Amino acid sequence: MKIGIPRAFYYHSYPRLWECFFRRLGHEPVVSSRSTHKTLEIAAAQTETENCLPQKLFDGHVLSLIDSVDAIFVPRILSIVNGHNCCPRFGALLDATRAGIARGVPLISIEINETAAPLSKTLLKLARTLEADRRTANLAVQEAFAAMEQHHRDEAQLQQAQCDNRKFLLLGHPYTLHDHFIAEPIVNKLKKLQVPLELMTFGDNDITPGDILWCVFNKMYRKLQSLDMHVYAGVIQISTFNCGADSMMTERFRRMCKHNGVPYMLLMVDEHTGKAGVDTRLEAFVDSLAWQRADMAI
Amino acid sequence: MTERLAIPNLGNYTVALAAMVIGMGAEPWWSTYTNDHAMALGIAAAPESLCLPFKAHLGHFIEADDAGVENALMVNSIGTCRLNYYRGMIEEILKDMGRKIRVFGLGFDGFKPPVFRYFDPPLIPLLRAVSTGVEKIRTIDTIELQTAYTRAREVNTGETSLLMERCLQELSEINSKKTVRLFHKDVRKRFEAIAIDKSREPLRIGLIGEVSLLRDRQLNQNLEQILGHMGVEIKNFFLLGGEIGNNFGISMGYKKNTAKQLATVAKPYLESEVGGHARDSVAHTINCAQAGFDAMVHVCPTGCMPEVSIRPILRRVSEDMDIPVLLLSFDEHTSALGVVTRVEAFLDILWSRRQRGVGLVNRPRRT
Repeated sequence: MKIGIPRAFYYHSYPRLWECFFRRLGHEPVVSSRSTHKTLEIAAAQTETENCLPQKLFDGHVLSLIDSVDAIFVPRILSIVNGHNCCPRFGALLDATRAGIARGVPLISIEINETAAPLSKTLLKLARTLEADRRTANLAVQEAFAAMEQHHRDEAQLQQAQCDNRKFLLLGHPYTLHDHFIAEPIVNKLKKLQVPLELMTFGDNDITPGDILWCVFNKMYRKLQSLDMHVYAGVIQISTFNCGADSMMTERFRRMCKHNGVPYMLLMVDEHTGKAGVDTRLEAFVDSLAWQRADMAI
Repeated sequence: MTERLAIPNLGNYTVALAAMVIGMGAEPWWSTYTNDHAMALGIAAAPESLCLPFKAHLGHFIEADDAGVENALMVNSIGTCRLNYYRGMIEEILKDMGRKIRVFGLGFDGFKPPVFRYFDPPLIPLLRAVSTGVEKIRTIDTIELQTAYTRAREVNTGETSLLMERCLQELSEINSKKTVRLFHKDVRKRFEAIAIDKSREPLRIGLIGEVSLLRDRQLNQNLEQILGHMGVEIKNFFLLGGEIGNNFGISMGYKKNTAKQLATVAKPYLESEVGGHARDSVAHTINCAQAGFDAMVHVCPTGCMPEVSIRPILRRVSEDMDIPVLLLSFDEHTSALGVVTRVEAFLDILWSRRQRGVGLVNRPRRT
């Protein structure tokens, strides 16, 4: 069976896991191609006007998959890290997709609720609904987890390798930081400016619970809490238009960074974001920090 | 002098909440709707993309601080919605502005929330005030229902709204459970005294969506009245009495709408709880379609996390069960005129549907 996986939301939250899992079960995973402006155009006619940008991209990915696969994988995600919860959008994702854009399309779904049951158990259950025998299922789960962990290790190593002392931290959701449409222009521009850059990583699920219940934001919060102003030159947060969680948390992070003495910039990305606007803001931010440093050196 | 406590606006129900605050040994500072001045203050001080209720709360508290109120109270939630973090954020913003007002949270704060620790009200007067408050909530439920019924049928436009205001005013002035109960009995008679046109068959529309938007008439541009004066009998699905029954398992006489039952109703379309009142919105739409309502109006602040994410589901229910749903989003730029225009157009369609007999084929008409 050809199983379509939209390259959005949970594809980035669980890197490599889904492809590996479905392949081991003997299915053919089809991941939609990287998001471009075209993805948004596909979605524009059918998606909810007030949806956030990542949700619109998700809808575009689903729509682009519909004709080429037998079923599309859309889970209902209630919690990714034990004791934390997700954006309400994730809880409604499956039902809204079924009622809206993917009407009449067969969907493969599970309920991911790490607080109630670990992911490995949920995956075994999914394997059983796909009629895999116990042995294959166990193997598939093991290998899928191994692939994901390997990816996290590689990523962490890559970020560690940049041990330059004046680096920038790029904050965002897993599904915005690794999205071709949202983050790629920003990352490319910063590379062009020859700025050492660290992307936020989300591999470590062993976080202290706090008052922030959204797991992604708790991870960012913990990271910012221990941010050393001598190591990090600045923080750039990518936020997407109409993201409810961002609107709340970016304000809080801005205050935190101000308190820690680390310069902070918020970049809002929407459907119409022009390259020139992003370039100008990034250049201005990097330049002003460089001048500040030069001033301090004198 | 007793300290004052500002409570957020929950429409007409603020009257009952104020009665409970008195029981805590504090003087309540309240209003049934956020006024323009408070809105402007809130919009100026809040981060731009936060939702309208946040700005209303913040503005209301700033105004309270200007009036010298020492404390404020708002709900704490532990759901997935960003409401979870509102209290903390409001506190920080107020601190940054150099304001002295303390913001207490009420809700999921442990056995004895800080607000009780601070005021430390004696138990018996508190319980008495709470039971008076509950009685007032019941009375307001009745006032709401009567208003909706009468406003759509009144002969002289505006009479019902005036009577409602008068009733609330009187209700806010009485303070014992017994008098509230007597007043409650009197409410129905007062509304019956208004001249109505019994031959009229108004459109019946259910109002669903986000709580503040359903209840604060400043935020929803007085939607209930707009609809009522156009001859629509509305059913607002946020009745506080029913809500309390839902959340704390206390029976308030609304057995049909417990969270569990609504979850069962919504299940074919939405299996998990999304947050806020999203699942209830879906369930009420299904229920109303079966009960023969003409349409639903879904209101929420622009960018509301739970309510916006279930809109595709509402569209689907609307198609499947042949009940029109008007989706209205409100932000600080929404104008009353825009709302009126959209509502008028919607009602035109509904009247024409009724004339053609569409949508009522498989549904029982109310007798």
